[in-house]
Amino acid sequence: MPLPDLPVQGRADTFVPTRPRAARRLPSFGVGRRNLVGALSLFGLFVLWWVLTTGTGIVTPYRFPSPAEFQGALDQFVTDGYAGGVLWVQAWHSTRLVLMGFAVAVVTGVPLGLLMGVSPRAEALLNPAFLLVRPIPPLAWIPLAIVWLGLGDAAKVLVIWFAAFVPSVINTWTGVRGVDRTLIAAARVHGAGRWRLLTEVIIPGAMPMIFTGLRLSLQASWTTLVAAELVGAFFGLGRVLDAAYRDINPPMIAVAMVVVGILGAATTQLLSQAERRLILWRA
Amino acid sequence: MARLNPLERWALTLLGTIGFFAIWHGLAVSALLPRNTLPSPGAVLATAWQLTVEPFAGHTLPQHLAASLGRFGMGFGLAALVGVPLGLAMGRWRLLDDIVSPVFEMLRFVAPLAWVPFAALWFGTGIGGPVMVIFAGAFPPCLINAYRGAKLVEPRIVEAAQVLGASGLRIMAEVLLPGSLPSIVAGLRVSAGLAWQSLIGAELIVASAGIGYVMVQAQSNLAPAIVMAGMLAVGVIGLTLDVALRRTEALVKARWGQA
Amino acid sequence: MKDIRFEGIGKAFPTRGGRDFVALADVSLTVAEREFVAVVGPSGSGKTTLMRMAAGLDHPTSGQVTVGGKRVTAPGPDRAVVFQQFALFPWKTVRENIAFGLRCQGAPRARQDEVVARYLKLMSMEGTEDRYPHQLSGGMQQRVAIARSYAIEPDVLLMDEPFGALDAQTRTVMQEELVRLTRREPRTTLFITHAVEEAVYLSDRVVVLARDPGRLREIVDVAAIRRSEGWDSMPIDAVMDLPSFTHLRTHVWRLLRDQIRPDD
Repeated sequence: MPLPDLPVQGRADTFVPTRPRAARRLPSFGVGRRNLVGALSLFGLFVLWWVLTTGTGIVTPYRFPSPAEFQGALDQFVTDGYAGGVLWVQAWHSTRLVLMGFAVAVVTGVPLGLLMGVSPRAEALLNPAFLLVRPIPPLAWIPLAIVWLGLGDAAKVLVIWFAAFVPSVINTWTGVRGVDRTLIAAARVHGAGRWRLLTEVIIPGAMPMIFTGLRLSLQASWTTLVAAELVGAFFGLGRVLDAAYRDINPPMIAVAMVVVGILGAATTQLLSQAERRLILWRA
Repeated sequence: MARLNPLERWALTLLGTIGFFAIWHGLAVSALLPRNTLPSPGAVLATAWQLTVEPFAGHTLPQHLAASLGRFGMGFGLAALVGVPLGLAMGRWRLLDDIVSPVFEMLRFVAPLAWVPFAALWFGTGIGGPVMVIFAGAFPPCLINAYRGAKLVEPRIVEAAQVLGASGLRIMAEVLLPGSLPSIVAGLRVSAGLAWQSLIGAELIVASAGIGYVMVQAQSNLAPAIVMAGMLAVGVIGLTLDVALRRTEALVKARWGQA
Repeated sequence: MKDIRFEGIGKAFPTRGGRDFVALADVSLTVAEREFVAVVGPSGSGKTTLMRMAAGLDHPTSGQVTVGGKRVTAPGPDRAVVFQQFALFPWKTVRENIAFGLRCQGAPRARQDEVVARYLKLMSMEGTEDRYPHQLSGGMQQRVAIARSYAIEPDVLLMDEPFGALDAQTRTVMQEELVRLTRREPRTTLFITHAVEEAVYLSDRVVVLARDPGRLREIVDVAAIRRSEGWDSMPIDAVMDLPSFTHLRTHVWRLLRDQIRPDD
């Protein structure tokens, strides 16, 4: 069947993919059938988990914990603690480090990104340093940080800062560059000076990209923290993971992983909320 | 926001590059930092060169690199081989999407490196461990980009293939795959970067050979020059991979157009 | 109120082939105080470039542009611009957009509110002050853009195909509103458009450009006829029905027609 040549009004949607949702990322739970199938899928997975471990014993405790063992480890972690502290203490320890590193990275990275975006001179001058250092994955800084600062918190914060710094700078820079030139012209023809231009046009215009950078920074912060604590630490969820591994305690490993995952999701949600509050003006 | 003329840009770039190394070198040789904390650029290069012939932690640098790249290849390859077809299939069949997505979204929240303890428990220091961690890191972009690419293929084209009698498999291979290629290649690029990072991370924690292992051993021995030589190697390889994949991406875009 | 003088304006861009692309060649034109001048021409005749030079967003390679006797070097609030794409700040409300220029001038809040209220009323936009641009239709957005420019009481108003992004009906309504506004508060205005009817309806004089290279073709006087027949007190459809209007429009159209190539 040949496609119609003349676009008839109201049939324009034949030329776009029939499912506009496709353009977004993998959608999380929608409504109706999708929700139902998803829930069933997760439920099925849970059943499988139970069957494989408790029910039939195919998967021995050595390999993967059963739901009951998971529960047991969780209880233990919450009440008695593990590797030096109860769940809340360990979790807070790690979260604190993430927030510190993330905050410092944002406070240093976003202004730098603004500077590089606004001033071609600054960009030309600072770009080489960036290009040289960027290819080195943040995790690769961990050994060096430990050599410099030992196994304590300082090394962790340093590496987290570094991991979160780069996405903040780059995305802020991209955001600034991406501000519609016409808007800048409009501001100038109405008499805006450089400061007003920066604060009332460029920064608001770059906000969406800045937040993308913040999201990536937060993600990188968590990944780096877990890695750093796994390599060597005195406290924290990574340390719990490490200790559980050495003790050959799979239930505890699983518990720690889940806690890390939940904390990561929770902090990301907070960030999204902040974004929604700050960017009211989007269609 | 003024423009910069090419000469000025070139001069500032040069100044920035020289400045970077000068400051590094200056800090290294000055008395500001305790001895042996920061090796100078020259010292790092010299150490790297030395390691190509003298073994450290059991092997020479090239041998360690080969071990790392081997693991990388396996993990990345596996992630691509599983992720891309699955993503395409999910893009094509809504039911599959509905079944797999929730599980995927849940597992995604776990940082790849958090899998290291289980990986180590199950595979010891064998190759399975790092491969599993790399897979965890490299899998999401492969899947997501293949999925996105498949979704963005014009439904009309898929229907045309159906009308002509193509089976589901053929549609996937001959319609969806070529159509999503730009998106897939972009995903592979991101995936490779994450894979390389996950590999290094895994090797930092549990390995008996490889670049990450070198760095951790050097850290225990308080030999920052070796650590930095390792970082250099990691950076160079990571950059090479990225550049190579960007080239491929550009080539695919030029032939097939944007996703 | 100031005048705009283009004196011997030339604009050339170097191209890869070696020979320069001449956008404008020796254009001289004066827009008198409070005069409304429309500039029409085929695409590539440099009409937008002329406006951008007056705004200070672009510079001539030869000749000079003066506004009120002073040479134009940079953008400034004495020469407000209304863009085709509206260029409203998406993160500012209607009120904040209109008041923007006033704030740049340091006007006190009371005055800002007063001016904003006045223009909202004038352009029948009352009640929209707290909306964001994306919540408004195209026509309303352009009204806000015009209000924003008018609010700073510029000496010169530069409009770059301001109604080009609107649909035909909205466009006609906007033309009528603009006439109402400009006759009430006349400002030195340079209005760029490719729509001949719009140019004849709105302006005192219509400047017709030619291209390759961009240069002056002819200047058509409209003001005399408009005043004598009292167009300003008639609705737009009535004006466009008049034989005098049709005659002028056809005349301008003929000047343009023989320049239009088939690949335009």
